[in-house]
Amino acid sequence: MFSGVLQRFQRFQRAFQAILGLVLINIVFLVLSPTYRQIGNFQNIFAQATVLGIMASGSTVVLISGGLDLSVGSLLALIAVIVGTLLARGYAVWLCIVTGLLIATGIGCTNGLVVIGTGVPPFIVTLGMMMVLRGLAELVGAGKDLYSFPWSFRILGSGYTVPVSIMAAVYAFSSLFLTRMRAGFYAYAIGGNPEVARLAGVQVNRLRLVYYALGGFMAGLAAIVLTARLNFASSTFGQGMELNAIAAAVIGGTSLSGGIGGALGTIVGVLVMTCLSAGLSHLGIGSSWQRVAIGVIIVLAVWLDIAQRRRVLK
Amino acid sequence: MDALKYLRVVLGCVLVFLVLAGMEVLAAEKPITIAYIGACTNLPFWITLREAAREKAKELGVNFLDLTPPQLDAQAQKDAFDNALQQKVDGIIIGAADNRAFDDSLNRAQAMGIPVVAVDTGIDHPWIASLVQTDNLASARIAGQYILEHMQKPGKVLIVGGILGHQTGDARKNGVTEVLEKAGVEVIFRAADWSPEKAYEITLNELNAHPDITAIFGAWDPGALAAKAAVAEKGLLGKILIVGFDGDPAALKAIKNGEMAATIKQDNVKMGRDGVQLLVDVIQGKEVPKYIPIMGILIDANNVDEFLKE
Repeated sequence: MFSGVLQRFQRFQRAFQAILGLVLINIVFLVLSPTYRQIGNFQNIFAQATVLGIMASGSTVVLISGGLDLSVGSLLALIAVIVGTLLARGYAVWLCIVTGLLIATGIGCTNGLVVIGTGVPPFIVTLGMMMVLRGLAELVGAGKDLYSFPWSFRILGSGYTVPVSIMAAVYAFSSLFLTRMRAGFYAYAIGGNPEVARLAGVQVNRLRLVYYALGGFMAGLAAIVLTARLNFASSTFGQGMELNAIAAAVIGGTSLSGGIGGALGTIVGVLVMTCLSAGLSHLGIGSSWQRVAIGVIIVLAVWLDIAQRRRVLK
Repeated sequence: MDALKYLRVVLGCVLVFLVLAGMEVLAAEKPITIAYIGACTNLPFWITLREAAREKAKELGVNFLDLTPPQLDAQAQKDAFDNALQQKVDGIIIGAADNRAFDDSLNRAQAMGIPVVAVDTGIDHPWIASLVQTDNLASARIAGQYILEHMQKPGKVLIVGGILGHQTGDARKNGVTEVLEKAGVEVIFRAADWSPEKAYEITLNELNAHPDITAIFGAWDPGALAAKAAVAEKGLLGKILIVGFDGDPAALKAIKNGEMAATIKQDNVKMGRDGVQLLVDVIQGKEVPKYIPIMGILIDANNVDEFLKE
């Protein structure tokens, strides 16, 4: 009874801390920069957060279940060039999107299958996959000019309303998945202690497959939004984005060792990163310093978290 | 002391400092502010261009906001552009990492009336007030002519190019190809996506596949240097003519050492300075030409010392 309450409190508190950080960062920028205060700026920030946000929701589920997927950045590039190629060949927009999402989900599944089947650590499996997929993306994209897509496709990433709605739907789903659906809820059990979960009758392997597939699907969706947003596709997309997605999840309180975290925290983490980079731009501080700041915040967030938990336990 | 308490004190200090700094920023009077968005912060070509632009802005008394993303990244560049619009800067200079990513953002700039000048890479959009660019096609013809005159014949020429569909890379490829094919020399073209690693691999592979390659044109100097490394690995240094493009310091050294034959130096200092001048002119309501071509300068062993001194 008591430990359940404590656990719930802790989970909320982790997200709460990230929200506090987000508010604090925003107060600083709101005070300092007159141009940061406009509505348009926040539309801008949300629009910029969509691609990373969609990807990070998948990474969060994988992390909570004790897994890790480093291949999603390369997967994004591969799906972008595949969908771009199909669009350039004149296939129907819905068909291109469905194909892209199916392939992405399939590759996510493959990650899961290899991890479960071989027992090679997910770090290694997905690191290898990251290189494989980047190479495939380059092969598919080689020598093609994938540019200027139909409007019915571009709408998915253009402006503010549509991409942000997609992201909102993604988070509504992943939040429900993790808190209300059995398959999602079990991710915490599996991430916390897979052996105990298995003994309790949870179908650990089957579910882990589902989580990796979900991670792949989200990377595919992110690829589609990004391709629509930039109106061109390139095999150079998404480099390092898998690490940004993990960083966002960590800032939002998800544990790299599994069992702890949530979708709410991750979206806040994504917004922390986006606000920081937009706000520092507004203050005229260059991109290299933005990287420094985000790096410091990641460590700070986890440190605060650890310090807080120690206090609660005392 | 409790770690958390310590952290609170530190955060508090940072907050106070930022507020004070901000008040100072707010108190200052508002001159013209221009945003500069280069392709990246880690290539010598772009560093020189940015510093020249910054210098010129200083001379003109204009605020210079550098929003360049660290690496070639179309998404980050589009975000930087949108952030600049949001800040309602008076004008934007854009050196596009990819000229295809900006339709949407330029439409917004047009709606907001914020003028945009492009440097180095052309962007096909009516709102671009002016383009300052090395005349890539004409300058590449100079490189093509040089290769034609100095290469061993008969032989094939390998072109290690940029990203297919990228305007700059295509123009350089076309300039060289045009001259060579007119003279009946066979040209092999491979796109290396501006990646030296790829340029290296492509060169190795093509040298294996076509032993009759006697000259290589790298569409940008880091690519040409990567090709040089591959040629060296095959033990063919000195036998294969290597010509680059950009005039980077490393390429000049290679020319001095006789490892590379020539490069076309882009006048990126003039590019940066002209870009700023044009943008300020547009902001002040003056008429400006739509296109300012800048001619490349051929550098080979004969004149490399002049440029090495700089």
